[in-house]
Amino acid sequence: MIELKNISCFYGKNTVLENINLKIPNHLTILGVNGSGKSTLAKTICDLIDYDGEIFMDEVNLKKLSLKQKAKNISYIPTKLEVYDRFISVDEFVLLGRFSHKESFFSYTKQDEKIRDESIKLLNITHLKNHTLNSLSSGEQQLALIASALSQQSRTIIFDEPTANLDPKNSKIIANHIKELKQNHNIILITHDLHLAQYIDNEIAFIQDKRLLHFQNDFFKESNLFRLYGVKFDGVEPQYD
Amino acid sequence: MIKFTVWFLLIVVTIASPFFGAVELNLNDVLDSTNLAHKIFFEIRLPRVVFAFFAGVVLSLGGLLFQTLFRNALMTPYTLGVSSGAVLGAGIAIKLGLGGLFLGLSAITVFGFAGAIFTVFLLFYLAYFLKGMGENALLLLGIALSLFYTSALMIVFYMGDAMQNDILIRFTMGSLSVISWQNPIMLGVVATILSCVIYLYRFELQLFSISNEHAILKGVDVKKLTLLLLGVTSFGVGTLVSISGPIGFIGLIIPHIVSKLYTQSINKLIVKTAIFGGMFLVGCDTISRVLNTQSELPIGIITSLIGAPFFIYLIISEKK
Repeated sequence: MIELKNISCFYGKNTVLENINLKIPNHLTILGVNGSGKSTLAKTICDLIDYDGEIFMDEVNLKKLSLKQKAKNISYIPTKLEVYDRFISVDEFVLLGRFSHKESFFSYTKQDEKIRDESIKLLNITHLKNHTLNSLSSGEQQLALIASALSQQSRTIIFDEPTANLDPKNSKIIANHIKELKQNHNIILITHDLHLAQYIDNEIAFIQDKRLLHFQNDFFKESNLFRLYGVKFDGVEPQYD
Repeated sequence: MIKFTVWFLLIVVTIASPFFGAVELNLNDVLDSTNLAHKIFFEIRLPRVVFAFFAGVVLSLGGLLFQTLFRNALMTPYTLGVSSGAVLGAGIAIKLGLGGLFLGLSAITVFGFAGAIFTVFLLFYLAYFLKGMGENALLLLGIALSLFYTSALMIVFYMGDAMQNDILIRFTMGSLSVISWQNPIMLGVVATILSCVIYLYRFELQLFSISNEHAILKGVDVKKLTLLLLGVTSFGVGTLVSISGPIGFIGLIIPHIVSKLYTQSINKLIVKTAIFGGMFLVGCDTISRVLNTQSELPIGIITSLIGAPFFIYLIISEKK
């Protein structure tokens, strides 16, 4: 279980999050308008940005863990992957998920390679093994990122707008995978995709005015969506005219 | 095929290198210990070839490391002003007329090294203010620093007399000529340490070469490791530049050439880049010795003249 206590985040003088208190039992979907601080919250949990307050994971303060220990517990999947290395293959990339399990200075073991192969197979991207990461489409990149997170074997996986760049078919594939992963992992999902949020069916936290609002099942009511997003909805479909 | 040809050429040139120069030597004379050729070979040519090789190793690994750590194809110790710092240090030593030796090293070397290391610390300090501004900001900072050093060097020139200026100009052109084994051995130790450290962190570097964020997420202590690797590299480059003067282009171009030849991820390129860089510089140095000019051509001219066209060829011949 992840617990956030009095978390505040700042970009220069701007307060993005203020005194957030949150218990994440198993799964959670985080929603909110653009710039409300959804990604900031996720990055705080991953220690990618500085924050005030404390985050506990199973009663252990995250600040007390090394980065490797943290990686064994949490993995983060960004919307889009930026890669400087033009020649790294999917195979090598997914193997890097094993970094936190590897002995320092030594190569990856046979066991690491086996776990990598299983992750790649589970995501049905065996045919992309030898392709370079840069040559993949957005959908394929998401799959490679999920495979890398799986080989990392962390209990919690954070998805940051996984379907933001994807076409309907790829969105469906990713959505199915996320739902499957709920069986063995704790999933934190950040998204604007209300279809996806409804399908994944987690508890929902909505960030508004730097604070969190909690919802169980009543979130997807049209009146509620209108109140939160300021647009009229038909089901979970926003009305453009 | 091109890989084979390039390596074959480099190996042949490296082996043949110590036999060529102002005087050509043949194997029989060299093996005869009473012959002058023996002395030339073992006390002048071989130390120089060894020095050139390790210089190439240090420069090309330095380039590879800076490019990977900052994920910028233009980043090298040279572009960040480390070399200019060394030149300014050496210039001040020459201007002050310090010809003496400290701990067996010439004052020029000591001052040059101090200039390089000072620049690194200055960069570290200034980089603290760049938080969140991205890698390009650091590159701009380095370029600004280089320009500042160059102007400062102009003042040293302006105040110097003809003889001091002549020594200084020679130094800024870069030269691989060494006398005795002291410098080659020292540089060899430095190059070996640098290679080992970089090789030990090959998988961390592979994560760096994806993105900073990705490295942190997979468990790399990015800040600590950046500091360590930059420290070791700057030490190596500082040592080299303070002896040889600045040798441009190798650090920028060799990592790119090797990665284009092999199209592999960085963890597999470290050893290849080091050896390729070493032999490439030996080759360039051989040409500078063999060319029949009044005195030896500065090495920087050769490295650019050979490296640039080959680099351009690799870029335009790249097939998608």
